[in-house]
Amino acid sequence: MIVFAARRLAAAVLTAWAASILAFILFWTVPNVDPAFWLGGGQKGTNQTRALATEKYGLDDPLPVQYVRLMENILNGKVDCFYGCANLREAFLQALPVTVSLVVGAALLSIGLGVWLALICVRHRGRWPDRLITAAAAAVYSLPSIVLAALLWAFVAQKWGVFPDEGYVPLREDPFGWARHLLLPWIAAGLPFAGAYVLVVRASLLSAVNEDWVRTARAKGMSERRVIRRHVLRTGLIPPVNIWGLDFSHAFGGFALYVETIFGVPGVGSLTADTIGTFDLPPIVALAIYLALVVVLASALVDIVVAWLDPRVRRPRAST
Amino acid sequence: MRRLRRDRAALVFSAMLAVIALALLAAPFYASEIAHTTAADNHLTDTTVVDGKRVNVVGLDSIPLGPTWQSNYFLGADYNGRDEMVRLLYGARTSVLVGAGAVFLSFLLGIPLALAAGYRRGRTDTVISRLFDVLWSFPALLLGVLLSTALSLQGVDIGPVSVGSGSRLIPIFVIGLVYVPYIARPLRGQVLALREQAFVEAARASGMSTRAVMRSELMPHLSGTLLVLAPILLVNAVSLEVALSFLGAGINPPEPSLGTLIEDGLTKTDNSPHLLLVPSIALGLIVLTLNGVAEGLRRALDPHGALGLGLVRGE
Repeated sequence: MIVFAARRLAAAVLTAWAASILAFILFWTVPNVDPAFWLGGGQKGTNQTRALATEKYGLDDPLPVQYVRLMENILNGKVDCFYGCANLREAFLQALPVTVSLVVGAALLSIGLGVWLALICVRHRGRWPDRLITAAAAAVYSLPSIVLAALLWAFVAQKWGVFPDEGYVPLREDPFGWARHLLLPWIAAGLPFAGAYVLVVRASLLSAVNEDWVRTARAKGMSERRVIRRHVLRTGLIPPVNIWGLDFSHAFGGFALYVETIFGVPGVGSLTADTIGTFDLPPIVALAIYLALVVVLASALVDIVVAWLDPRVRRPRAST
Repeated sequence: MRRLRRDRAALVFSAMLAVIALALLAAPFYASEIAHTTAADNHLTDTTVVDGKRVNVVGLDSIPLGPTWQSNYFLGADYNGRDEMVRLLYGARTSVLVGAGAVFLSFLLGIPLALAAGYRRGRTDTVISRLFDVLWSFPALLLGVLLSTALSLQGVDIGPVSVGSGSRLIPIFVIGLVYVPYIARPLRGQVLALREQAFVEAARASGMSTRAVMRSELMPHLSGTLLVLAPILLVNAVSLEVALSFLGAGINPPEPSLGTLIEDGLTKTDNSPHLLLVPSIALGLIVLTLNGVAEGLRRALDPHGALGLGLVRGE
């Protein structure tokens, strides 16, 4: 187990490193983005100010030197912005718990709802509750979460004022206020995923229902409820867990961006979205690297948890 | 194909898809012949006739017309007095075109890479697969935002290719690139399995070149997968375009896209809820239809789920 965790974390570090190189390439070598031009005063700059900027920021240094310096700056949070900005690392770390609340809440909602409804489907497989839930899940799955977020915010929060239309309260200060601020974002982000999960979990459970050990359990005289709880659920949940892991880690750079923007939740997503609005490339790259670190770390953690739950994963996989 | 025809749900969704496609294609016709305006024309001070009465397009309190259900301003006007129906048709057209272009680009890049990785294996496979792993570990939206901001800053000039900063080609390129691993990963797995089969070995033994084996032996077996993947990927590409445009990193206003329309209508529900409802419902319908078609194709071509193409969600 420890070996697996170590190997998985090493892979995460490698991926993060590759991501940083990708970001560096984007940062300094995209055609037509000349840092000297922007750092030297943009449109108002002259050749002289540009030469000064080249000197000051070492833009003539070899690329590996520039890479190391950029990464140092990004990790310190002191990026040379084209227009100027505050310390990004502080801002990011302050916003991170907000996004973690949003993502974990949405994940719990979608997984809980998905598994619960899928279990109802399996218990009544082929009959009307199954068909009803499956159809509803397919419809909800087709609801783009950006549309759901926009509609919930515009009507429920802003127009009718049922829930606050912006802001955030930390969990430790006021748990009730925390939930009140996040309930709509949770629904907006989690509901479409719940629809997808119902379908995935149902399919996976149904394929487990006809396994030999399930038949044996039934033959022993176990109640159907107990059979599903003890035997179907345990094996049937393994494939969906991998999907949840991917979705969970991607959420930090996925729906967090627009859901937080729409609901005015001050997390890393709206921080990033605000920065995009300024068209200031260096802080955007820095924030993207922070987000990528969170994503890579989250997916490593999920994989380790999965391996802890399912011993088969721990063994090195045969090449597929 | 026969199985598809017997599937009533799939038929309904295919018909819906045809209607949507026709409507989007007819956008210029609708604009010039029915609504007599364009997607960009402002009508701030104009008047129009509704139910025989002459009314301001944008009222004196600067609140625009709601849906009139008539040929002009069928779905109302926006705060610049532009015809919302025309903007919707053009916007949806842009979103779907960008999505389709991106899917095409993903196929163009993903298929050769998957063939090379799966068929040659060895070092080629390692390099390509690792590259995909890195791309895969980035959320699509984040990668899209990053690429698109970098490219749109001043436009792109690579040799003879010159793309302005507001061009549609940038979101197409960005989204297409982001989804390459989503195509190449399942394809590579299939190629790996196919190359061990007897008919591939026979072709190789008969002296066929690698390229010929890929084209005439492997590709026909992959076409089913591609057909199932295309609409799934299109849904994701359109959703990504909407999210990018919404965040200001895709299509730039005033050019309409479903994303910019939703962004525009978001804060105006107090007086003009139609500006948010219209693009939202349109996007919902497009996604529902494409999902329905995708599911129908999957049921017809991959009834046992053997291809392992579940739900791809790549936002």
